[in-house]
Amino acid sequence: MAVVDVHRFAESITCHAWSPDLSMVALCPNNNEVHIYKSSQDQWERLHVLEKHDQIVSGIDWSSKSNRIVTVSHDRNSYVWSLEGGEWVPTLVILRLNRAALCVQWSPKENKFAVGSGAKTVCICYYEQENNWWVSKLIRKRHESSVTSVAWHPNNILLATTSTDGKCRVFSTFIKGVDTKDPKAGSPAESKFGEQILQLDLSYSWAFGVKWSPSGNTLAYVGHSSMIYFVDDVGPSPLAQSVAFRDLPLRDVLFISEKMVIGVGYDSNPMVFAADDTGIWSFIRYIGEKKPESSGASYSSQFSEAFTKFYGQSKATTANEASESSKSREGVHDNCINAIVSLSKAGSPKVMRFSTSGLDGKIAIWDLENMEEELGHQF
Amino acid sequence: MAGAGGFVEADNAEAIIARIETKSSKIESLLKQYKPVEALKTALEGSPPKTLDERCKSANWIVVHRALMAIKDIEGMLNALDVEYYDILMKYLYRGLSTGDRPTCDQCLKIHEKLTDRAGLGCILRCLTDTINTV
Repeated sequence: MAVVDVHRFAESITCHAWSPDLSMVALCPNNNEVHIYKSSQDQWERLHVLEKHDQIVSGIDWSSKSNRIVTVSHDRNSYVWSLEGGEWVPTLVILRLNRAALCVQWSPKENKFAVGSGAKTVCICYYEQENNWWVSKLIRKRHESSVTSVAWHPNNILLATTSTDGKCRVFSTFIKGVDTKDPKAGSPAESKFGEQILQLDLSYSWAFGVKWSPSGNTLAYVGHSSMIYFVDDVGPSPLAQSVAFRDLPLRDVLFISEKMVIGVGYDSNPMVFAADDTGIWSFIRYIGEKKPESSGASYSSQFSEAFTKFYGQSKATTANEASESSKSREGVHDNCINAIVSLSKAGSPKVMRFSTSGLDGKIAIWDLENMEEELGHQF
Repeated sequence: MAGAGGFVEADNAEAIIARIETKSSKIESLLKQYKPVEALKTALEGSPPKTLDERCKSANWIVVHRALMAIKDIEGMLNALDVEYYDILMKYLYRGLSTGDRPTCDQCLKIHEKLTDRAGLGCILRCLTDTINTV
């Protein structure tokens, strides 16, 4: 089993983020607060409660080099917290949103952060030295619905977003004075703030959880129709693949190497996807091996009850013994996993540890140290 | 929702209906030869999901329905069917269930059970969320 630690922090966890040294975790227990816990000798101790938002905190990110926490909430605000003298001090960031903020991420260089919102806009915030405050620039065009997830490319300029209009888009967020133009990089056309580089129309349903691969060459995002989409060679001629899988939809993904992705979602069990040598992506396995069932149906007791009722309607159906053989779930999480966070150093090509948090209020830490053989050579 | 990937216009609908009619006669002959599995495969192939025209969809549904009701060996049928047809079959099953007609529903439920076993809940999800390619 790859799980190293599981702990139940609250009834339900909305999002979480780790401190630079990975000893502390900041999480939102499905209310307007952010709790920071420190682990010491197998015990988790609550150190701080950050209370500034009025509504649920929908996104938290902790920068690893500058040790700042950014939180965004349904109250349309965002705060950047810095540690001063043992206390976390908030700085309000005026996002100029008229709808909830849904997700946030620090850029790789940590001089900017991106916020996706229900106002069909993305806010890119950067620090203005002269006025000593955070300024927000909005990408207003293009999105036809809420922006559910944002992800920064390693070059600190490109940003991928997914939205409930089913599309995944890549924008340039070049800001004069904050970003420096790379002399050998692409054409100046891409260097306009808010310029859409690419739009991917692969999904018919809501899209969530976009992430870039470590090199920035590949994008992965999920659709609510139990599909996961991979796009290689993001650029003028991308190579898109849609992979349909058996079970319930995913909510978030993480690249653990250039060719391997872990997806988490409503099945409460992380799924591993990998690209083979020809570049075709497919589902490999669940991360913890499921016990082989006699019939192959491995649904929990809730499902089998529902199925028996459903199929019992038909006079001709015989009682299906196979579907009620299941017991309580053997997995780590009992409810939907909605976030997966890497525990490796930012920018490293391989992720050996990651954590997942879910609606069951647990955070589980997974270690892939001994799973190299099981996962295969793509890892 | 924007109509991505051009929808077929009304004047092409006639062509589609004509094709469906040829399909229908082919299926009738297959059924006479006691090859219900082949019949269903033919019926599912070339399903016109991208038309907005209700007549095309209804015409295709009648053909699929005919083939579905003739199936006796469900396991065998699913064995012979390619994986890519699972999603389309599931959509037609739900259309069948929505008719409320007793024998149709019985048959559809039987097939639904076996298909879910094979294709998983993801297949059902894909039918529910796909509002563009409806049958």
